[in-house]
Amino acid sequence: MLPVLAGLGYALSYSLGLTGLLSKGITFEYWQKALTSQSLWASFLYSLSIGLVSVFISLCFAVSMALSWNKSIQQGRLSYFIFLPLCFPATVMAFVVLQWLSPSGWFSRIAFELGFIHSLNDFPNVVRDFYGIGIIFCSVLLITPFFTILMSNIYRNENLLHLENLSKTLGASTSETLRRVTLPILFQKSKMTLLLFVIFVMGSYEVPLILGRQYPQMVSVAIVQKIQKFNLNDIPLGFAMSVLYVILVVLVLIVFGKPSRKYLKPHFK
Amino acid sequence: MSEAFLRIKQLHKWFGQNQILKNINLDLSDGQTLSLIGASGSGKTTLLKIIAGLENANQGQIYLRENRIDALSPQQRKIIYLYQDALLFPHLSAFENIAFGLRLQKAKHIPAQVNAMLDKLGMQDQGHKMPNQLSGGQKQRIAFGRALVIQPQLLLLDEPFGALDPEIRSHMQKLFKTLVSSQNLSAIFVTHDLKEAIIIGDNIAKIEQGSLIQYDSKKAFYQDDKSGVNDEILFWKHLKNETNED
Amino acid sequence: MMSKILKYSFVLAVVFPLVFLLGLSLAQQWQFPEVLPQQWTLQHWGNSLFQQGDILKSLFLSLGLSLSLAGTVSVFAFFMSKHIAYSKHRQLYMRFTLVPYILSPVVLAVIFQYYFTVANLSGNFIGVLIAQLFFALPFGIVIFNNFWNEHLKSIEQLSFTLGASSRQSLLKVILPLSKPAIVLCFFQSFLVSWFEYGLTQFIGLGKVKTLTVMVFSFINEANVFYAALACILLILPPIVLLYMNKKILILAR
Repeated sequence: MLPVLAGLGYALSYSLGLTGLLSKGITFEYWQKALTSQSLWASFLYSLSIGLVSVFISLCFAVSMALSWNKSIQQGRLSYFIFLPLCFPATVMAFVVLQWLSPSGWFSRIAFELGFIHSLNDFPNVVRDFYGIGIIFCSVLLITPFFTILMSNIYRNENLLHLENLSKTLGASTSETLRRVTLPILFQKSKMTLLLFVIFVMGSYEVPLILGRQYPQMVSVAIVQKIQKFNLNDIPLGFAMSVLYVILVVLVLIVFGKPSRKYLKPHFK
Repeated sequence: MSEAFLRIKQLHKWFGQNQILKNINLDLSDGQTLSLIGASGSGKTTLLKIIAGLENANQGQIYLRENRIDALSPQQRKIIYLYQDALLFPHLSAFENIAFGLRLQKAKHIPAQVNAMLDKLGMQDQGHKMPNQLSGGQKQRIAFGRALVIQPQLLLLDEPFGALDPEIRSHMQKLFKTLVSSQNLSAIFVTHDLKEAIIIGDNIAKIEQGSLIQYDSKKAFYQDDKSGVNDEILFWKHLKNETNED
Repeated sequence: MMSKILKYSFVLAVVFPLVFLLGLSLAQQWQFPEVLPQQWTLQHWGNSLFQQGDILKSLFLSLGLSLSLAGTVSVFAFFMSKHIAYSKHRQLYMRFTLVPYILSPVVLAVIFQYYFTVANLSGNFIGVLIAQLFFALPFGIVIFNNFWNEHLKSIEQLSFTLGASSRQSLLKVILPLSKPAIVLCFFQSFLVSWFEYGLTQFIGLGKVKTLTVMVFSFINEANVFYAALACILLILPPIVLLYMNKKILILAR
């Protein structure tokens, strides 16, 4: 904790012009610049929307898999395959997605062979694109296994099977049970963990570095780029941005409460 | 009055603002079992932990055979504290659980001692089993054996049979009496079951909201209106009358 | 029937990236619009494993870094978590362990960077190890947090009354019981370090060339075949761990 605070202190003082190569006494110039910079807010909004969309899509997949294959996820051979994507570092997953979705990528070749497209340029731009489809696709691949395990753990721990049966004896149909019992409970129990993952995707670095483009940029990429730039004026701006990022994340946590890791944590007797 | 084996003098314990134990005085003679009755939250567990050295008192003295022990570490006291949960070491077999203390002492003839103890517990052929293969009563017996085999000075039992079925419970009560008298052990036995307290104890004490009353004899306990014994007797009399009327 | 088809297609979808990477690492020439490589070769593997030492060096560097980190985290987390779990401020401490969950490691690296430069820890192995430690330690503490519970405390106290010293209690009771937690913490820390790129690159200044750093430099050089090869080396240890760890978890029950 202490090193984090010390680091934050340095970043703050740098952004206020107190330290650093261009230091010329306290100034709010960089903060003013940062807070009024369109690209900065675009960065935050862009990251947030990518985080939200990725989590939502993963959630849909995860819930369907957890509900239809509940038994085989907890034990049996399928469980190994559910865990398998967890073996992929973000870097590798991003590389694979790049090799699949880029204009000269594998999907584009298949489309060509099947006669859907006639040249490289016909293939839709889905990596390094404005909407971040590549980033979202990759994030979904990365976090869906977590969610599937999460949902299946909740299903087991909260005794959902019994509750579903109870609801059916009370006269609810299968779809009503799903709508009124299963899904609300799953959501209720997992929402804080989902928040954690939204923040996690927002802060991801490797994936947008490979699959993102110059504008709009995800927050982490933007911060690092500013600090590593040769233009020394950008450095305090980068620090201002990192302090702002930390403040925003902490604010979100204060507003929404403490994210929960309950169902992802190991249990010991 | 003979010299007490265990003597507690003016013992006080606070947790923050809360006074958990108020001026506790207690005497226990050699080879005797004291039943300690009290509801949950009355401070009995804290008292046992202080005697065992797992908690410190804020005030007061504890003597064992005339020696002051309240500054000693739990290891030096040779006092064993048994919980309702048998707390067998899950990574060791029943045999190794019993042998645990002996191995620490680097005692001689460990297998013979452990087997003799298993014999006394009526578990001759169960030594190889792991704790998760034993029933609740069996676990509790092994926990007893583990405590008794190192010949402790004093045994503290915190509702050890609380989680057992009535039948096994009465069996364990008998086993406890036999084992304790065969080794001439002193013990404090905490329970909230009046009948168990009477069966097990040579003497009885009661703890209520941190204050302890020790009776001079069992008879004195029965004669105390607040002991609850009279209510019990009245109930059975009433029941007997009703069945006779039928 | 439908469910079976879905299951098989799921398995296929999960295994396919692996096969794809393997294919890519064995390809020599693969121009658009060919679906399969035009020429296959074992040369990349031969080169990187036996001749040019770059990838092999990275592999050992990564292994060394991740194993050192896993060992260090396991030891520190074991003792720190005990302290935290039995402390009055447990809740507060545990809240602090959220930091690495919510702060991206690379942003953490950005705000640490100054102190690492001053302490002469930028651009070397020890520096990267320490930076990763800051990031991975809270994860380890979270793993152990559930392990130190009332039940374990009672068992520890019981071993004291049976005559065990603190050291004996630790060696004969606590450590054997904590084996599953230690194993889990070790593997998890290993993976955190094994997967890390941003922090390593930023604090290591590109001089500490772990496998992930290599993958990025291959991607930047548009050297996809070697990138794929390095990717496979990156995935292999986690897969071995997955196979072992699930087993270990089952054994632990």
